[in-house]
Amino acid sequence: MEKQDFDQYDDLDITPTYEASIFYLETPENVINAFNGANFYSQNFNFDAFAEDIFSERVLDGVITYEVENTTSKRLDVVFEFLDEAGNVLDTESFSIDPAPTAVLRREIAYGNAGRSIDIIRNTSGIRLSGTNQGDSTSTSTLPDPMVTLKSSGKFRVRIK
Amino acid sequence: MKIQNLFFTTIFWVCCYAHAQNKQLLYDFSDIPQSLMVNPGVKTDFQWFAGIPALSGISLHGGSSGITVNDIFADDGLDINDKVRDRAINGMNIRDELSGTFQLELLSGGFRGRNPNYFYSFGIYNEADGIGYWFKDYAILAYEGNADRLNQEFDLSHLKTRGEMVNVFHFGINKRMNNQLIVGARGKIYSSIFDFNSTRNKGFFVTREGQNNLLASTLDADMKLRTSGIAELEDAEDNGNLASTIMKRGFFGGNLGLGLDLGFTYNLNEQTVITGSLLDLGFIYHTNDVQTYTLNGAATVEGVEVILPDALVDPTADFWQDLVDEVEALVPFEDDTKGYITFRPTKLYASIRRDFGEQLESREDCDCNYTVSGGSRARSRYTNSFGGQLYMINRPRGPQTALTAFYLRRFGNTLTAKTTYTVDKFSYSNIGLGVSIQAGPVNLYLMADNLLAYRNVADTHYASFQLGLNIISWGKN
Repeated sequence: MEKQDFDQYDDLDITPTYEASIFYLETPENVINAFNGANFYSQNFNFDAFAEDIFSERVLDGVITYEVENTTSKRLDVVFEFLDEAGNVLDTESFSIDPAPTAVLRREIAYGNAGRSIDIIRNTSGIRLSGTNQGDSTSTSTLPDPMVTLKSSGKFRVRIK
Repeated sequence: MKIQNLFFTTIFWVCCYAHAQNKQLLYDFSDIPQSLMVNPGVKTDFQWFAGIPALSGISLHGGSSGITVNDIFADDGLDINDKVRDRAINGMNIRDELSGTFQLELLSGGFRGRNPNYFYSFGIYNEADGIGYWFKDYAILAYEGNADRLNQEFDLSHLKTRGEMVNVFHFGINKRMNNQLIVGARGKIYSSIFDFNSTRNKGFFVTREGQNNLLASTLDADMKLRTSGIAELEDAEDNGNLASTIMKRGFFGGNLGLGLDLGFTYNLNEQTVITGSLLDLGFIYHTNDVQTYTLNGAATVEGVEVILPDALVDPTADFWQDLVDEVEALVPFEDDTKGYITFRPTKLYASIRRDFGEQLESREDCDCNYTVSGGSRARSRYTNSFGGQLYMINRPRGPQTALTAFYLRRFGNTLTAKTTYTVDKFSYSNIGLGVSIQAGPVNLYLMADNLLAYRNVADTHYASFQLGLNIISWGKN
């Protein structure tokens, strides 16, 4: 009769990895021009996805992927900030994008393990998005529907057991 | 024990120790009164019998068609994570199941009528039955997640399970029509203690490339879980009166239903017999303590979307909460208390039997031994029988079938043994043995299935055990 070792259960690791989109910002060039100033957008958002206990207590590590595309005629800065419940900045990701034509800027930021502290993710309950126009407020790109877009997604490993 | 664990306890009981309810050893084992429970038209020669309360019929059946305990927990030096991934997550398919049942006779008896062609039987038994199919896509989602599985649809229909506990009150009539044919019928009243079922789920969860954002997560769900009796048992547990609540619900204080068993035995000739039975042709109407949960709708999410200038209209907008509210509106999770009907897992048995060898003197109080076997009462009993049996049960993913070959040997009127070889989805090497011992009026029977598996119980896909104790009279001194 073959022996069983039920203590093996203690060695069972269930750590699936989930991914989904996080944030999408889209600002047409005419809106940027309409602000007629450097800072065309700044807004704090409630973002409780990371703060839910089922996630924050179990997340191990992960990667946030950003993709920024600028088809306007001006150089733009976009800043993505992670805020805790009190509004304190936990982490900042800044993007400077040259005017069109320009390549899509893609960046992956790791959290946990050798990356930034996973506590940033665990304690995030809000996001601040800021956009700054580093060019003029009159020109318009000849490309169709000129705009700046910021796309983001997260891929996180969580411990279920 | 928390009531929430009731589901899992039932499934575990039913699944790990207890299977598909096939009682191939008991079927047509006419020396045992409980054979009337699997064929109300079985041949009976008793004058009366009385089961010892709570000991007259105990049966446990359990089966797993996918993996065994040993597949995961064998002390083989392999990493348990590899074994779970290879053998369970990727090794099992959605037709693999954990299933089982247990039955406990609370009261059992029978007597021959004034017209000796009639035999009446009655009793009460408690039964729990459950089945859970391998929820493969849910397991993949839970074990590995959705990352790097773009466009892979996780099928929500993989959740298919049901389970229940009932008390069954029954009364049966067995009538010898003539020297060839015996027919029987058994009426049943079901008193449901609890029930849960989630068998008609549809939909999927998928992650695709987003239209605006990087990824789009889509949930398209049409799911339902129906329960009855769970909330009351939960309250009873909190109030410390769980046992009395189970008793109350089991004795007409829960949900009620009706059912019917039918059966026959027909002698094709003196030594060749065919039998058949249809069991639990019935339903339970759940109106008491019903909770039905539904998740129905479709939503696609690409994260929080801020599109200017529209987003500037309301600077105080809570985009996250709006997203949550939108998803909850598109895929609402709701509950209601509307009644529902469940149908019992109907079972079908059929057999053909060939008797041979020495003829035994009849135990019946009649002129019906082999010297007068052409009379209107009983047929002769032979020391040997062999034959084949068919078993089918209605399950959420369609009928399950088992085929059995058997050999039965009588050693006088005191000992009868039956051995079976059964093939079904759980095993191709299921050899069973049942023994009925008659010591004066005391009848004891023991039956066990899948005996080869006892070399390593943890490695078995199927196990079953039955025993019972009766007092039997044939009316002779």
